[in-house]
Formats: sequence, C-alpha cells, structure tokens
Amino acid sequence: MTPRQFRITASILGGAAIWEVAARLFAESALVIVPISDVARAFVRLAASGTLGRDVVVSSIEFGGGFALAALVGIVAGLWMAVSATFRDLMYPWVSAFNSMPVVAVSPLLIIAFGIGLASKIAVVFLVSVFTILINTLAGAENTDANLVDAARAYGASRLQIFLKVVLPSAMPYIVAGLRLGVARGLIGIVVGEMFGAQAGVGHLIMTSGEVFATADLYVGVLLLAVAGILTTEALEWLEVRLAPWRVSVLSEPNRKAARRGQ
Amino acid sequence: MASSSASLETRNVTKYFVRRDQVKTEALRDINLSFGNHEFVAIVGASGCGKTTFLRMLGGLIAPSSGSILFNGKEIVGPGNDRGFVFQADSLFPWRTVMSNVILGLEIQGKPLSESRELAQRYIALVGLRGFENHYPHELSGGMRQRVNLARALCINPSLLLMDEPFAALDAQTREIMQAELLRIWNEQRKAVVFITHQIDEAVFLADRVIVFSARPGTVRDIIEIDLPRPRDMTIKRSDKFIQYVDRIWKLIEEEVRQSVLRPS
Repeated sequence: MTPRQFRITASILGGAAIWEVAARLFAESALVIVPISDVARAFVRLAASGTLGRDVVVSSIEFGGGFALAALVGIVAGLWMAVSATFRDLMYPWVSAFNSMPVVAVSPLLIIAFGIGLASKIAVVFLVSVFTILINTLAGAENTDANLVDAARAYGASRLQIFLKVVLPSAMPYIVAGLRLGVARGLIGIVVGEMFGAQAGVGHLIMTSGEVFATADLYVGVLLLAVAGILTTEALEWLEVRLAPWRVSVLSEPNRKAARRGQ
Repeated sequence: MASSSASLETRNVTKYFVRRDQVKTEALRDINLSFGNHEFVAIVGASGCGKTTFLRMLGGLIAPSSGSILFNGKEIVGPGNDRGFVFQADSLFPWRTVMSNVILGLEIQGKPLSESRELAQRYIALVGLRGFENHYPHELSGGMRQRVNLARALCINPSLLLMDEPFAALDAQTREIMQAELLRIWNEQRKAVVFITHQIDEAVFLADRVIVFSARPGTVRDIIEIDLPRPRDMTIKRSDKFIQYVDRIWKLIEEEVRQSVLRPS
C-alpha cells in the first residue's frame, strides 16, 4: 500500500468510525441518522433479499441507457453545430433554453408520457445530461486553434481531414469534461425520475425507505449513489488518459497535486 | 537527397481585405517578383506591411485580389505538396508526438505509414531531434518545437519552403543557433526558401537576396543582393560588410517602423 492509498483508506475508516460513534452518542432520533453498522446490516439484508440487486440493475440500465444516448446525441449534435452554421443557428435557441432550464422539473411530464418503467427514466437521464455534453462538445470544437487549421490546410487537408485530424482531437478534452458533468447530472436525474414514479431502482429505494422511516435502508441507497458517482468519475478519468494523453501529461504532477488540494 | 528546382513569379499581385464595416484595406499593391531556383530570399518590412499576407498567398492559403502567382509555370490556386510551410506560431498538434507531427503532410497525402515513418525519421535526425520521436510538443523547448516545424515542412520534400517568422518567438541565443542550423540544413537540401522576418540581421545572415517591403499598402521598396560568402557562420555578423547591409536596410524602413510604433494596429 502506498502512503497515498494508506491515507485515503485511513480517512474512509476514520470517517466511518466518527459516524458510528456520533450516531450512537449524540443522535436524538434514529430517523435522521443511524449508526453505520446499522446501514451495513441493512445493506446485507437488502442484498440477501434480492431487492437491492434488482434496484441496482434497474438504475444502472436507466442511467446507462440515458447517458449513452445523451453522449451519442450530445457529441454528434455538438460537432454538427460546430461545422454547420445553419444547423447551429437552428439549434441554438433550443439548446440554450433547455440548458438554462432545470430539466428535472419536467420529469413528472416524462413519467406521464413514458410510464413508470425504464423508458421514462432513460428519458430523464438523457434530458438532464445531453445539453451539458452538447455545449461542451460545441465549445471544444469551436475552440480549435486557427493556427492548427492553417497548418493542416497548408499540407493540403480536405474539409473532412481537417475535421478528423484537427477539430475532433481539439474537442476531445472538452467532450470528456462534458461527459463528466453529464454523469453528475444523470445521477441526479435517476433519483428524481424514480421519485416521481417507479417500481424499482436506487432512487425508488431511497423514496420508499424515507416514506416508511427506514432510515438505514435510505442510507444504503444514498451511499450506493455516492459509490456510483465515484466509479463513473474514475472510469471517465481512465477514458481521458486514453483519449487525451497530452492533456493528462500537461496536468503534470505538481498541477495534479494542486488540483487535488482544490486550489 | 534529390533537390528539385523551382521557379516562382508574382505578377501585379494586389490584396485587399474588406473589414466588417465594409471598409477596404489594401494590404499589398502590385507585387512583381521572381524567385530563382534554390535561392534563399528574405522579406523584411515594418509590421503591417503585408509580408505574412504575401507568404500566405504563396502558400495558397489565401488568394490574391488581383494579379497572379505562377509556380513552375502553373498558377497557384491552393495549397500544394510542392510547398512546405513553416509557421510562426506554435502550429504543432499538441496531441501528436514529434514523429506524428512530422508525418502530418504525408498522412494527409495518404502515404503508407511505415514508409512515412522511415522518411520522417531521416528529417527528425536532420533537424537534430533523434531520440525525441515520442515526445509531445509541450515537452520540448521553443527551439526544438521549431525544429519539428521545419522537419514537418521538409518531410513532404517540397521544392519551395515558406517560412513565416519561424524564429520570432525564440530567445536571442536560441534564435542565433537556429539560424545557423537552418543554413546547415539548407546547405544539404538546397530548396528555394522565402523567409519572412522583421529582424534585419536575420535576413542578411540567411538570404541571397533581401526584399524590403514598404508599409501598408505593402509594395516592393528595394531588393538587395547579399554578397556574403557561403557557408556563413555567426562570426560574419561582426564583419563590416554585414553591418553595412543591415544599416542600409534599416535606413529603408526606419521611418515606417517609427510610424508603426506610434500607430494603433
């Protein structure tokens, strides 16, 4: 174990210990906070009964489906807007309207339109994350260095080659950043979507547990969401290393340290 | 390495730019020049004299408003593999390694990768960057980046090299070294070169002929043959003859440089 891994592990265990002790000593009501050991027991119980597994699978499908669709549409439309002024002008008012609107507010409508099954949640996740991805992609493509376009042109590049060899790689770090922001929004989308009407899912678990004051079960759902957020962020960091290695090395060790310190 | 011959001629080349408020700015007026085979020509002038615009027209990146540019007897209508462009600013692709940057031109032409790499290897060695093939541009110094820039242009084996103030962003010492390096490489390759610079001593040191542009609209003010022996090394910069050339060119543009310093751009 490296010193870094050791400190991180120590921090997690320490946090859990403080939670446990604080909940046992100070909590007036088991409705607001319960010891983490109770949460762990609830986790085992829910997992053994099979409902937790089903909740996780359902939410994963909703998130995966909605997010994959949002990534595909967001990236393609963003790039298309960057290369076609006509398409950009046609899309612009709608994109900026939807992006500045709290899209989760329309989730009840989506539940009515698509029912309480998977489709409505996929629609919610899609809608809350697609515009972030699209706008980042567009910004990245539009930020393409004119000097690089000139260089490609001077070597005889066609429009398609300029797009593939200059615009797309330039936009890549922005696209990855858009995906990261989209992940965070998508996770919110799942919970909100499932709260308005669902038969299963992590958000559904949180909602129903809250309604019957099963606080330990509620925390199981919340912690699962936190873990999902961490895992997807790590996955996107892994993706960034592959898609934009020059960016990662630009963010060299001192910068990364500063970034980790939140400076 | 085979060096091909080039002949370049401009006939009454004039260039206007139309600004957003519809005001026409004349950047260049009636440029009539011819460039010889294997000749190293430098163009100097006050900033805003249209020298970069002129080079971009030679490269086919922009078209003249009137007049024509003939290269090997054919009119230039766009970029071509017969001309290699070395840019002023950092025009290396940050996501590409040195090797991958150098083969850009061949890649665009659709040459097979293994063949391109082999060729690029030779030019990377020629510019003195052997061992840095897998480095990214941000890992290189300014001087090294401009070596890559040069290797990228040489790699398509052009008969004409167009260089747009390639050493302007370098510090004084690095610039001196790069000038000497450029002459060494030019000695091996013997391409025709059109070299834009605002440094008079750089122009005199490198070129067979220095073309002096007047300020906007740019016109050819004078053409000065540089009769200094080759191969040249840096000690030549302290010779009387060299200093006389520099003084003479400076006097030609002094007044305009003074004005351009005071004029908002």
